[in-house]
Amino acid sequence: MTTALECGTLCSVIDNLEVGVIILNAERRVMRWNYWLAARNCHSTEQADGKLLLELMPEAVGTRLEMAIDHAIRDRMPSLLSPALHGTLLPLYQNAEDRKRNRRMHQLIHVIPLIDGPLQSACLIQITDVTATVSRERVLRQQAESLRRNSFVDSLTGIYNRRKFDELFALEFAKAQRQQKPIAMIMVDIDQFGAYAALYGNEQRDLVLRDIAAELKAAIQSAGDILARFDNERFALALPGMEEKSACLFAENLRLRIGTLKIANESEAEGKLVTISLGLAVMVPEASADTHTLLSSADVALYQATHEGGNAAVCFSVEEGHFHTCC
Amino acid sequence: MDLNELQRDALGEVFNIGVGRAASSLSQIVNDTVLLSAPEVMLVHRSDAAKVLLGSEFRQFSTVSQHFSGAFDAEAMLVFPESNALEIVRLMVGPHMSIEELSEFEQEAMCEVGNIILNACMSALADLFHLSLNGTLPIHRFGDTESLAFLEGDEQQMILVLQVDMTISQQRVQGHILFLLSVASMQSLLDCLDNYLREQGLL
Repeated sequence: MTTALECGTLCSVIDNLEVGVIILNAERRVMRWNYWLAARNCHSTEQADGKLLLELMPEAVGTRLEMAIDHAIRDRMPSLLSPALHGTLLPLYQNAEDRKRNRRMHQLIHVIPLIDGPLQSACLIQITDVTATVSRERVLRQQAESLRRNSFVDSLTGIYNRRKFDELFALEFAKAQRQQKPIAMIMVDIDQFGAYAALYGNEQRDLVLRDIAAELKAAIQSAGDILARFDNERFALALPGMEEKSACLFAENLRLRIGTLKIANESEAEGKLVTISLGLAVMVPEASADTHTLLSSADVALYQATHEGGNAAVCFSVEEGHFHTCC
Repeated sequence: MDLNELQRDALGEVFNIGVGRAASSLSQIVNDTVLLSAPEVMLVHRSDAAKVLLGSEFRQFSTVSQHFSGAFDAEAMLVFPESNALEIVRLMVGPHMSIEELSEFEQEAMCEVGNIILNACMSALADLFHLSLNGTLPIHRFGDTESLAFLEGDEQQMILVLQVDMTISQQRVQGHILFLLSVASMQSLLDCLDNYLREQGLL
């Protein structure tokens, strides 16, 4: 058997709820303003009693909350005000410090018509504090963003890592295959870099890697070009839409650009500067071709450039099967 | 049971008043012009409603539903393809957020958008037909057409389908509003509609 609760008990229940409760009559005057709300706003339960809500919280004038109240009282329609669209609509604070700094709590507001019994055409406003959820989600979002960035960026040089390169290169290669357009691949290696690191130390080696990556990045012109740190001291560059002739000029230009950095390298017998070697291959991929063919062709060209003493850009002509120096 | 041309036009007009009101509320929230129109009204059997939704290329949907009762009972549901729903929230919450970042807010924000549109449609109906209707709070769900329990069941039920075109920041997003009514409720709605047409001197 259920026991009918008397009115006073119900009011006491409302007052002690751990959510904000406002009950308005048809004139939009406050009939109940519970303790939770009084503790988070400057008006006490007694001060609020019988006052117009919009006088107590002028912030709500002209907002969706005012419309939602009209909607509940006039049309008997309930409304939800989401934190994403209204955030901190009402002046409610978790504590005095937040109030001083005007740091409002994030609110989820429900406006519900009360139509039964003596409360005809009244309205219940229920306010939930979602600040903790909002800040936790914000932290999670930042973490997700940083994880996402770290998963495709090489932390030392700030350019794409090998994983991202493989993914983007496969996409561009498939596009070139579909559209029957050329795609150029350049592999870049720093000459005698093991000896450089042995002489100057790992810290200096990292600085040079960073400088060279930045210089290569600055040389990229088109948005579709992909530059990545391929492995230790090798970089990979995919240039969609670039013909062999232009790619040769581009590779040679990269070699000259690194030369102008004039990074001292006493371990280098000639010139005493850090230099790079480049291997280039270009193809209009046939339906049966795969990324491996182009990558290994560029790799073979790089090997040839290094083998001939370094500081050179060599192109391997996939169709004709021979090497020539870019110039 | 079907709608004649006069009834179809009248319902179209009523719902367009509703979505027009919803558009002005939404515009106020986003401080930008939001346009809404309901260019087409159809009455279909429940079993055919899935075809209307499946007719599109989309399989995943975002739905916001509310139950209305009074002169007639109706389950109202705003249905957008999931990608369109995300686009709406992205446009409303701000372009600085990526779709991946929205997941936290999308549920409630979408729920509110649906609430505004459904309430506006039903209160336009209640105003013009001089009815009193009560509504429940909105519930938001994601799912495919198979998981829309709404479309299953044996009883004879009718679905009033409204196509909805929404334009935010010059981007057009399409969706549907479905009103599921029992045959008896549908008859009550049609009676209300005929009364309204008589009042207007059209019947």
